Amino acid sequence: MLGAIFRDALKNLSSNMLRSGLTMLGVIIGVASVIAMMAIVEGGQVWLVSSIEKLGTNLLFVWKKRLTIDERRMFAGRNLQLRYDDALAIRDRFPDLKVAPVIDIDGQIKAGERDYSGRITGTSPEYSDIRNSYPASGRFIGTTDIQTWNRSVVLGKTIAEVLFGTQSPIGKEVKIFLGARKKSKKSDGPNGEKKEQETVGEYRFTVIGVMEPKGEAYGQDRDEMIFIPVTTAQRFFKGNDKIGSMIIHVPDRNQMEEVTHKLHQFLIQRHDGVDDIRVRNQGEFLGAIDQTIATFRFVLGGIATVALLVGGIGIMNIMLVTVTERTREIGLRKAIGARRQDILLQFLIESTTISVIGGCFGIILGIFAAHGFGDLVAQSMPGGGDWGAVIKPSAIVVAFVFAVAVGIGFGLFPAIKASKLDPAEALRYQ
Amino acid sequence: MLISLRHINKIYTTGEVAVHALDDLNIEIEQGEFVAIIGQSGSGKTTLLDIVGCLSQPTSGEYWLHESHINKLSDSELTAIRNRQIGFIFQTFHLLPRKTALENVQLPLMYAKATHTQQQDRAQELLTRVGLQDRMQHHSNQLSGGQQQRVAIARALANRPALLLADEPTGNLDSQSGNEILTIFDELHGQGQTIVMITHDPLIAQRANRRITLLDGRVLADESTKSPTQPILQEI
Repeated sequence: MLGAIFRDALKNLSSNMLRSGLTMLGVIIGVASVIAMMAIVEGGQVWLVSSIEKLGTNLLFVWKKRLTIDERRMFAGRNLQLRYDDALAIRDRFPDLKVAPVIDIDGQIKAGERDYSGRITGTSPEYSDIRNSYPASGRFIGTTDIQTWNRSVVLGKTIAEVLFGTQSPIGKEVKIFLGARKKSKKSDGPNGEKKEQETVGEYRFTVIGVMEPKGEAYGQDRDEMIFIPVTTAQRFFKGNDKIGSMIIHVPDRNQMEEVTHKLHQFLIQRHDGVDDIRVRNQGEFLGAIDQTIATFRFVLGGIATVALLVGGIGIMNIMLVTVTERTREIGLRKAIGARRQDILLQFLIESTTISVIGGCFGIILGIFAAHGFGDLVAQSMPGGGDWGAVIKPSAIVVAFVFAVAVGIGFGLFPAIKASKLDPAEALRYQ
Repeated sequence: MLISLRHINKIYTTGEVAVHALDDLNIEIEQGEFVAIIGQSGSGKTTLLDIVGCLSQPTSGEYWLHESHINKLSDSELTAIRNRQIGFIFQTFHLLPRKTALENVQLPLMYAKATHTQQQDRAQELLTRVGLQDRMQHHSNQLSGGQQQRVAIARALANRPALLLADEPTGNLDSQSGNEILTIFDELHGQGQTIVMITHDPLIAQRANRRITLLDGRVLADESTKSPTQPILQEI
């Protein structure tokens, strides 16, 4: 009997193609948007996680914390700030770790008539290993460069092209000076320091290397980086021994938490007991991303769910019309022996058929839409190059099951209505 | 006794007005009778058909069909009675569109949970019996009115009902087709089938061997003509 009811349902739906099609469209769009949204969110997650991992793995980041005025007053005279000494002390105390101090300077670099303004990074030889980023030609900053404050510079691939075109820049001279964008990022030193920055002139540097192309990672174009020795940066551009941050590589991923904690304690101790630093590991970044992604999933999934519910209302609407149109048929069926549950089942199967067929088409459309949208994101978003749609089988199953549930849920009311019709009245319905 | 209606009342209330459609009606019908219920519109014919057909319950009174006390039955039990014991024939045929003659006849068998083969065999047998052996795969809109009503008769007979209940079966047919239908009724009656036929046409009512005339929900007249063949056949 189920087979016969199912055949009837298909026959009834196909006898009114346009109407069935339009009703299905609601479900199709709903299912497709659920799948597409999920795929885009998943794609975003994969992209973000891989961007972070591109920065290097097993990394710890150390910054100084911004202190309030009260705290600064309270801790006056103590050994605050992150200094180059801290980096050296960590190397002594934890020989397993690779430590790279980092100073970021906004500056300009000039080669003949061509110039470029951007961020200049002062760091140490360890940086290359930590960031998994090596020179394609020439060499990276060496130990001698650090010890003798050499005015050596390593250029990112894009910078080398901007300044020297197709020529090899190795051994060429460039001029670096501060102040293209005058607003120094953090200047929490004494007032005199800022003045000194503004008055420094330009310095000649020799290009010692060009980095291999690395592409973008986490919103940062790594081909646009400029590296100089950290000590050189301090001596010529900062005039003090502070550093902005440290990047630290931990050999064993399982020890990240432990090392994070130990390092934090070690630095507090060095800073006369003041906790003026922040130590973060990549896992925490990934955790933050997971949270962001969860929010996105919730919001986008919610929108898609609404689309699917609207599709369900379409089903209910059309099923109510169908029940009214077929009142006489229902009366006849009841007269010749259809029980209430037979009628109920008949109309439920019909509405479910709409949602099942709509769901199938929706899956196909959703897959296309996800890929289409993924490509769009990849093209239009800077650094979104690898952002593809990731369609998980579970998303398809969820969308489909949900669509079928909507078909049953919204078909239930019209079906109950049909099953409750009085046979005598229904037979004579005009 | 196949049908026993005792003190049947049916009152419809629409808003403030109560309509007394059946008023203390008493009718008994024996197995094998061919009864015509005659009356003008508003006389209570249709209400009587609904009650006898187990499509609705009387407001008061007792209705016995065979051994079943119909008033006491639940909705699903009534459905089972309609499916097994009663065959309906309507003025407007009530065939399902988009279904073939064969599928229409199979319908009551499907609800009686017969197997697919049983359904087909029985439906083919019945359609052959009403002379539609070469029209089985036709859809109802490809059949003439007379043919459609013959499909409806085949459908009504599907589960070998005790009672054939016909509501103006010739009302939508030309006189020749109507005559063919009545001839089938005669044959069925000859084979012992109980038939209750509602009509407003006295001429058609003449084909029955008993005529009950209704007026304002009461029995006005109840007359039997001993048709020459029928009682003898029945006795045998």
